[in-house]
Amino acid sequence: MSEHSNHGLPEATVVRHKRLRLSVVWLIPLLAAVLALGILIERLTAQGPTIKITFSAGEGIEAGKTVLKYRDVTVGQVTAVHFAEDFHKVEVTAKIAKSASGLMVEGTRFWVVAPHISITGISGISTLLSGNFIELSPGTGKQAERSFIGLDQQPRITDQAGRRFILSAPELGSLSIGAPLYFRQLPVGEVESYELAKDGQAVTVTVFVRSPYDAQVHAETRFWNASGVDVSLGEAGINVHTASLLALLAGGVSFDTPSFFMQTPPASDGATFKVHPDRATAMKQPEAYARRYVLYFNDSVRGLSVGAPVTLMGLTVGEVTDIGLSFDETTLAVRPRVFVSFYPELAASKFSGKQRDAVLSNTQQDNERHIRVIRRLVEERGLRARLRSSSLITGQQYVAFEFLPGAPKSHLDWGHEPLELPVARGEIAELESTLASILGKIDRMPLAKIGTEAAGSLEALHKTLGDADVLLKDVDAKTVPQIGVALADVHRALESANATLLGPDAPNQQALHEALEQLSRSARSLRQLTDYLERHPEALLRGKSEEKP
Amino acid sequence: MNPSFVTAKARGCAACRACSLVSHLPDGQEDGFCPRCGEPICIRRRHSRQTAAALVASAAICYVPANLLPVMRTYSLGGGVEEDTIIGGVMLLYGSGSWFLALVVLVASIMIPLGKLVALGYLLWHSSLHRNASAHEESRLYHVVEVIGRWSMLDVFVASYTVALVQLRPLISIVPGPGILFFAAVVILTMLAVEYLDPRLNWDVTAKGYEHHV
Repeated sequence: MSEHSNHGLPEATVVRHKRLRLSVVWLIPLLAAVLALGILIERLTAQGPTIKITFSAGEGIEAGKTVLKYRDVTVGQVTAVHFAEDFHKVEVTAKIAKSASGLMVEGTRFWVVAPHISITGISGISTLLSGNFIELSPGTGKQAERSFIGLDQQPRITDQAGRRFILSAPELGSLSIGAPLYFRQLPVGEVESYELAKDGQAVTVTVFVRSPYDAQVHAETRFWNASGVDVSLGEAGINVHTASLLALLAGGVSFDTPSFFMQTPPASDGATFKVHPDRATAMKQPEAYARRYVLYFNDSVRGLSVGAPVTLMGLTVGEVTDIGLSFDETTLAVRPRVFVSFYPELAASKFSGKQRDAVLSNTQQDNERHIRVIRRLVEERGLRARLRSSSLITGQQYVAFEFLPGAPKSHLDWGHEPLELPVARGEIAELESTLASILGKIDRMPLAKIGTEAAGSLEALHKTLGDADVLLKDVDAKTVPQIGVALADVHRALESANATLLGPDAPNQQALHEALEQLSRSARSLRQLTDYLERHPEALLRGKSEEKP
Repeated sequence: MNPSFVTAKARGCAACRACSLVSHLPDGQEDGFCPRCGEPICIRRRHSRQTAAALVASAAICYVPANLLPVMRTYSLGGGVEEDTIIGGVMLLYGSGSWFLALVVLVASIMIPLGKLVALGYLLWHSSLHRNASAHEESRLYHVVEVIGRWSMLDVFVASYTVALVQLRPLISIVPGPGILFFAAVVILTMLAVEYLDPRLNWDVTAKGYEHHV
């Protein structure tokens, strides 16, 4: 064959194929172009809108890192953070996913979520690791919007069923945003926001009560502060009130409706309520059912506080509602003016049966009759108000109505409203006056004179003692040597007596001996006699009887 | 240049690319099979320029999305998604002070693929002009492009390893972006183009010139 036909080189096998002018390889660039274009178009169409949010501060917002979330789903990403033209604001540019572009409408709100740890809970914990993110709440508008103003604070809960109420508190206490709201110790809502009232006289707290508990808020519902520990120094000593442990730590507001107002309709959304300091105050009888009296005391009302009890015969029937001063221009008398409220129901509850009804009707309905009864009590029985001290240590005072039959007559105007009631000197004042009189007596003593006299006496005494000293010195110098001489003489006399009387050869010694001998004998016979007489006492009458063997 | 050499083509012969056996093709035939190992042989690769040109064009098309689309997507905790393009990576490295690394990435991932495309384009254009003046330089350029070609796959490997290793689910996870596919396509297409571009064509010009001279 022709295997080695040409130059001895092997012959290659031949294959025949048609000649194509255009190679199929050109399909490859076509495919590449289609693919690239396809991806490009897909990316362009998948791209959502780019929005601009203006914040007052870019707290933890980073371009390319911070995401936008709605209901915990990422809907976009921040692409740029820069200052607004005047450097007062931060402009955040964000790319929103196409699927979420429907959220970018008028009224959509944006705020930065940062980790927040409080007693009531921890929120935004994921931001600790991932950094802050921007949360949004879609608006209700229909028109698409691309430029927004970011909120500085997380807005109030908007998509939960319930109602919002406004509370007016004298001070914030330990309330904070998120602090729980309790109904019968059940957490039913929370504090949403608070701000100072426009006049600066109170704190306006907005609370949200979740459905269905919001139906428990009536027009006459009372709110009170369940915050922390309430230590109060009342007339009865130290009172410590605590709510649940959470409320103790985080603060909170409780509410309840007094039983006599249960029938009132539920309060409307946004109704305003007052926050009372505690449950007892909150649930008290309303003012409308109280009778008010005014008392003008003559003593200091130090230690008397608003809310201090008013007692009748030691039982609480009311409370002090206001303390002030009154000034009489004619007499120039400045006196404390104390308003007291008398709660007829409270007072009536101390009576029984028919008397209770009588007291109630007396005090609540018939004003004329009420005044008449009071007037008689004052004029005939000597009803007087006086300040009494509930505790000498704390100095707390209360107003006691007592019957003092001997009290001086009072001249009161019975036509005024509120009615003025006569007062008597208070206990403290009496104590003070007694002390004052004792001190006065001490003061009146001629202490100065006594002092001078005592000083004179002491001086005289001093002089006398000096004289005595001189005398003694004289005695020492003159008398003592002479005494020594006298004693020597005495000594000599005694020695001679001794020699005369007691010496062995003393002439009187013998005679003395004999005398003593005789004395001894007579003593013996005397003894015999007494012995005999002892045995025979009859011998004194009958004489000595015969000796019998 | 040595004017005395004779090309295989002039003798109607071709070498097998697999077993290097030189065999003679029947007159007028361009293609055949190696009588020893059976591999297809050809005097000059059929449609060599056209195929190479198509592949280079494809690579050039893919080069654009390879640089525009992200090569890696980083999902971090909290829903943050970070998309990194090659240029972005270079700028990040440069911005963080590692200008040397930035330079390495810039050269390896952007300049070299681009250089290859340009070089191949130049070679194709030049060979079509049938000029012999710079055949040696072109041959050297061709070999440089051939040698460098495979190293461009380094980026693809780095991305693959990163994606495979960084999968700390809740904290961070990286998935490949569409950019890396296009980048790999650029590398593969240029390598194929080099493969298809028959270097012998380069010398045909010279041979022709030689023949003309003769």
